[in-house]
Amino acid sequence: MPLISTQSLTKRYGSSVTALDGLTLDVEPGIIGLVGANGAGKSTLLKILLGLLKPTSGSATVMEMDVATRGPEIRQYVGYLPEHDCLPPDVSATDFVSHMGRMAGLPPAAARERTAEVLRHVGLYEERYRPIGGYSTGMKQRVKLAQAIVHDPKLLLLDEPTNGLDPAGRDEMLDLVHRTGTEFGIATVVASHLLGEIERVCTFLLAIDAGKLLQSAPISSFVERTGTLGVEVEDGADALAERLAGAGLTARVDGRSVLVDCPDERPYDIVRDAIDEMGLSLTRLEQRRHRLEDLFRAEGRTDDAA
Amino acid sequence: MTRREAAVAPRESATGAIYDLGYQGYDGPRLGRRAAFATLFWASLRAAFGLGRSGRSKIVPWGLSAIMIVPAAVAGAIQAIAPGGLSPFNYDNYLWDLSPILALFVAAQAPELVSSDQRNHVLSLYFSHALARSDYALAKLGALAAALFILAVAPLLVIFFASILASTDVAGAFGDQLGNLPQIIGSPVIHAVPLAALGLAIASFTPRRAYATGAIIAVYLVTGAVGEILSEAGRGRLSQVAPLLNPWVLLDGTRTWLVGKGVPDSPVSDANLDLWVFGLLTGVLTAIAIAAVLWRYRRIAA
Repeated sequence: MPLISTQSLTKRYGSSVTALDGLTLDVEPGIIGLVGANGAGKSTLLKILLGLLKPTSGSATVMEMDVATRGPEIRQYVGYLPEHDCLPPDVSATDFVSHMGRMAGLPPAAARERTAEVLRHVGLYEERYRPIGGYSTGMKQRVKLAQAIVHDPKLLLLDEPTNGLDPAGRDEMLDLVHRTGTEFGIATVVASHLLGEIERVCTFLLAIDAGKLLQSAPISSFVERTGTLGVEVEDGADALAERLAGAGLTARVDGRSVLVDCPDERPYDIVRDAIDEMGLSLTRLEQRRHRLEDLFRAEGRTDDAA
Repeated sequence: MTRREAAVAPRESATGAIYDLGYQGYDGPRLGRRAAFATLFWASLRAAFGLGRSGRSKIVPWGLSAIMIVPAAVAGAIQAIAPGGLSPFNYDNYLWDLSPILALFVAAQAPELVSSDQRNHVLSLYFSHALARSDYALAKLGALAAALFILAVAPLLVIFFASILASTDVAGAFGDQLGNLPQIIGSPVIHAVPLAALGLAIASFTPRRAYATGAIIAVYLVTGAVGEILSEAGRGRLSQVAPLLNPWVLLDGTRTWLVGKGVPDSPVSDANLDLWVFGLLTGVLTAIAIAAVLWRYRRIAA
């Protein structure tokens, strides 16, 4: 059964802004990464799935329930972490998460019990009894995740869960999201503009751009096709590119770098040997595939070829 | 409850074993929309009195509650010491005399109930649960009306019990006073519902608490002042309808019409109008205010 399914879903704000443009997709359960630049329509899609926004045209179903007619029913089984701040400052995390659990239909005792459990899961201990206003951004993100899972949802919609976090906080949050998705078995959609984050935690990737579906595939197949190795040398980039092309690799010059397509692990050895034999001084060697721009550029090329 | 992860790993320590039970799923009942409505109503009613909040947010509602009750308590005490003395307060004039306190409570607590949810974007969380937008509006309206009812009924009950206990024949006094119950309950209801509706209609339109408080106070002051000026300066029909511009006069007129007697020398007694006019206008204003709140929450982005 498809977890989420949309048919030519379109959302326009006013007459000029088109957030979603005839989006059609089918998603199976798993941890799904929804990737796109800011303004690509990620948040709009999530809000339509929740029934917070009405689409201009087209239709969508979540767990085979139509969002237009069965919104309240869907929302009972969905947890939502909004992109922006959404916590009252003058209430403690315990009181707030428990309140949200009851809003989601849990009886009082179950709400208290599950609040304690999910707050422990997200790593909030003594501070849970203090007002949220005094929390760090990282702690607030944890409370947002806790309120989204307190009612044991079947589907979790996370909008930029690492928003505003420092690198360590990002790692912890991604780890939490991954554990929530795998150990708890809750189908999860993670919206992010950072492909690197999506790649770390997700099994399936949806890429959208300007409200259109760009790519929908398991993450493994995606990474293979778009892997690019950036080789930056002092000088002699042209010669290196020529030599690598001679060895059967797809290589092109980009400033002082040579960009090598890496469909598998073979190019790494060839690049290493070539640099060594040509006596070039290597300044930088990096994976370029994790960058969103590259992903979208690679897609453009594929389209041209086809 | 089911346990999705079977692995139970005891970890020995000095104080005992810690069991990692893994993640517990939830298979119990999900109570749905009506339970969500009730939860929001009770949480908002508690918030109106600052319960479960910091000490600072209790100062205003508790202070106003105290000011509301103290005159009734003092009058009751005097009655107990010197029975037969004439109390300055009765069920008819109490809410009229202390109406500024009710106004301040609405001005302070209506924004507390709705502005903060908008400013902190908590609304998008509420609307992503099994709650309709109209449910949110009605739960907040109900909570504020209930809070105002409690605030208004408490001093009337103090008068009620004081007059029973102060009399020499307690049982007989109880019987006499029972006849006043419709007024003791009705009069606070007549004040609470329209005031809550008007207060929320104003407060729901801004996420800024201070603006909402200022706007509510301004509406009460300005309408009252305009009504006063027109009745002093105007002539003929204009001065006749002037009392209708003051919300307090409207409420007192409605109360007089439905459950009580007029307060001597009040604008209602002085006005040359049928009492049902006050009631009709109060009803229309309340309906418009409730419609405005519902409209606001249907349109608001979340």
